[in-house]
Amino acid sequence: MSQNRWLATGNFFTFYKEEQRTFFTHLDRTVFTCFLVILFGWPLVFEISNKYMLVLDNILIAIVAVMGLNLLLGFAGLISIGHAAFVGIGAYTLASFSQVIGDNHMIITHFWPVLIVCAGIMGAIFGAFVGLPALRLKHLYLAIATLSFQMIFEWVIQFMSFFNQGQTIYLGRVHWFTGEVGRNEHYVFWYYVILTLVVAMGFGVRNLLKTKYGRCLVAVRDNDRAADAMGMNPGLTKVYAFALAGFFAGVAGALHAYLYRGVGFESFTLHASVGYLAMAIVGGLGTLNGIFWGPVAIKFLDLQVEQFSELAGRYLTSAPNVATALKPLSFGLVIVLFLMYEPRGIANWWRIVKSYTKLWPFRY
Amino acid sequence: MKNKATTFFNVFLVIVFVFAFALPAYAGKTYKLGMSLAITGPTSDAGNPYAKGAEDWFKFVNETDYLGDGDKIDCPIRDDQYKNDVTKRFFEEFLDDGILIFLSYATGGNLALKRDFEEVQIPVIPASYHEGLIVDANYTFMPVATYSENAVGLAEYITENHKGDNIPQVAFFIHPSAFGRGPLEDTQKAIAEGMKIEIVEVVEHGTDLDNTAMLQRLVSKGVQYVICQTVQTPVATMLTDAQRLGVTAATFGETGKLTFLGAHYTGGSDLIALAGTATEGYIWADSYNLTSENNEGAKKQLELAERYGRDEKAANSHNYGAGILAAQIATEAIKMAKDAGMEVNRENLYKMMQKMNFNSFVAAGPVTYSETERIGVDVQNIYIAQDGIFKKIQSFESQYIQKVRAGR
Repeated sequence: MSQNRWLATGNFFTFYKEEQRTFFTHLDRTVFTCFLVILFGWPLVFEISNKYMLVLDNILIAIVAVMGLNLLLGFAGLISIGHAAFVGIGAYTLASFSQVIGDNHMIITHFWPVLIVCAGIMGAIFGAFVGLPALRLKHLYLAIATLSFQMIFEWVIQFMSFFNQGQTIYLGRVHWFTGEVGRNEHYVFWYYVILTLVVAMGFGVRNLLKTKYGRCLVAVRDNDRAADAMGMNPGLTKVYAFALAGFFAGVAGALHAYLYRGVGFESFTLHASVGYLAMAIVGGLGTLNGIFWGPVAIKFLDLQVEQFSELAGRYLTSAPNVATALKPLSFGLVIVLFLMYEPRGIANWWRIVKSYTKLWPFRY
Repeated sequence: MKNKATTFFNVFLVIVFVFAFALPAYAGKTYKLGMSLAITGPTSDAGNPYAKGAEDWFKFVNETDYLGDGDKIDCPIRDDQYKNDVTKRFFEEFLDDGILIFLSYATGGNLALKRDFEEVQIPVIPASYHEGLIVDANYTFMPVATYSENAVGLAEYITENHKGDNIPQVAFFIHPSAFGRGPLEDTQKAIAEGMKIEIVEVVEHGTDLDNTAMLQRLVSKGVQYVICQTVQTPVATMLTDAQRLGVTAATFGETGKLTFLGAHYTGGSDLIALAGTATEGYIWADSYNLTSENNEGAKKQLELAERYGRDEKAANSHNYGAGILAAQIATEAIKMAKDAGMEVNRENLYKMMQKMNFNSFVAAGPVTYSETERIGVDVQNIYIAQDGIFKKIQSFESQYIQKVRAGR
């Protein structure tokens, strides 16, 4: 590490401990702190529209879910096409509570932080269970195994009367120290809750990757036989990666349930799973900041295409339903283009920008 | 002379300014409504003409000064592509804009937002006629008879017209969702209340393109009647297969063959376009007046469609009529509030809707609501597909549905 802790012109580590730092320079820390202050502060300054708060809350929830998927796919190299089902497990954990004890029971309305953790744990349990085939399967075969979990999940929810056959199961309004969180504060309240969780979990992931458990994930991804030879347990690592992904997904599901004050089957379909995959790929697999870029980019693209297809739908004939095709078309196109031209995702653009500022004012 | 000209010009400018600022004050008020539905994506075959119907009616209202005093309705129509999350977002956007009435669409979206409607206390006119939307709900005003009324009514029609000593053997062909299952459950309740039919099998269809095995199985089980509660496409596939297999009944209830019947979204001109001659003999329950009936109402619907340049397919769709009716209900509520000298706000519109009673040219009967009644048109028409169009057989109101509701 350079002597100047504000502007490091390159990476010069003389101790392992230096490399383990969360922020390499004071500038990094300051920029991050300012960014956080803006994120937490802006709702206090500007007039808030429920519509945009809902969009922001959705992006933040997607970030939580993609954190798990990126750990699994990006860091551990294990593909999952059933991530939305894990998110659904979290949401339906809350729905189960609602079905058994009532949607306005104190446990649901007052002990919501505990329930969010419970949903995460339930997601982790299911994740570990679904991860068991990873002991014997790889690549495409593992993808099919996770796909089958997605199918089983959808079938169970749609046909079990306990889960209201996929119809909305309601959740009551939560309480905070100031009393019940009313409609007017609902989206802002959950914005702060989810943002806090995103920051905490982000640091959690960052720290995890510095530990031997995090390094195990990467080692198994790069070569599981080599990892085995070096004394790691690849099987356990894979199952544990699935459990971790399930935990994040479960938490995201619980947040989704509370945000929408209900759980409906349609938010956890295969289509949503593909959406999470797209977010992870576009953001940048195996990168920490890609976790944030991906959901922002895809959700933003979603909104733009939605507006465009709505506009196109007005002028195009409805017979071939061109407007309907625009969304999956643009979605697929973006993923293909990223895979072709920027497989490292948006995170790589961020890396390039950072490298440039690191070298500035020198060109080389 | 020059001074006179200057003075004249100044006066002219003052007049222009006065009118420029004063005119908007006399231009009338604009009442904001919001509509979210599937114009593209799943079920857009119904949502697309529905949106056109509503759009045309609001245009007509604004162009003809239907509300009086130059008042207008501004109703943005948004395409939610049949996604509940998107519907929720649009609903929040509309609330931010201060809408007075929400015109909604799908069963799932309405169920997901049901609590929001009650909290915000906003009158809602859905395009879904799922019975569950008006259970424990005050602000949802169903335009016409529910799917449950359709299904139970068709079952009643079977009991009344079935020839033979046996109990009519019925199968249900339903959509694998609340939309499909709700009416089945209510029919089962009607059977428990004493209706004389037996449900032999329930088929929750998938996306199968061939129903041969299913149809042969129904025939072998002695099924005579198949009640459909889904959308048109799977029904069209089934009818085409039945025609190919020769199992379609030539007359109502023919022994050893299948007579097909269906609720609101299963029939209409779109079904005939999809299934062609295989539709012949299909019995359909609906609360809308069809353009094939060639009556006064049909003429008005076609005139409206022609006025705004709609193609023949949209103009003749009962979903186009359904969109008109939803828009008419909202319009009437505003008109009633205005006529009563009340401020046009959500609270007063809610009050007015509870007193509503008017005749629409697209509906089979009058639209009436009360403090306890949330279904506008209770009358249903039974249609039969003959010679490439649906022809009215009779009008009726379901009796057993009242018993089912009383038992809730």
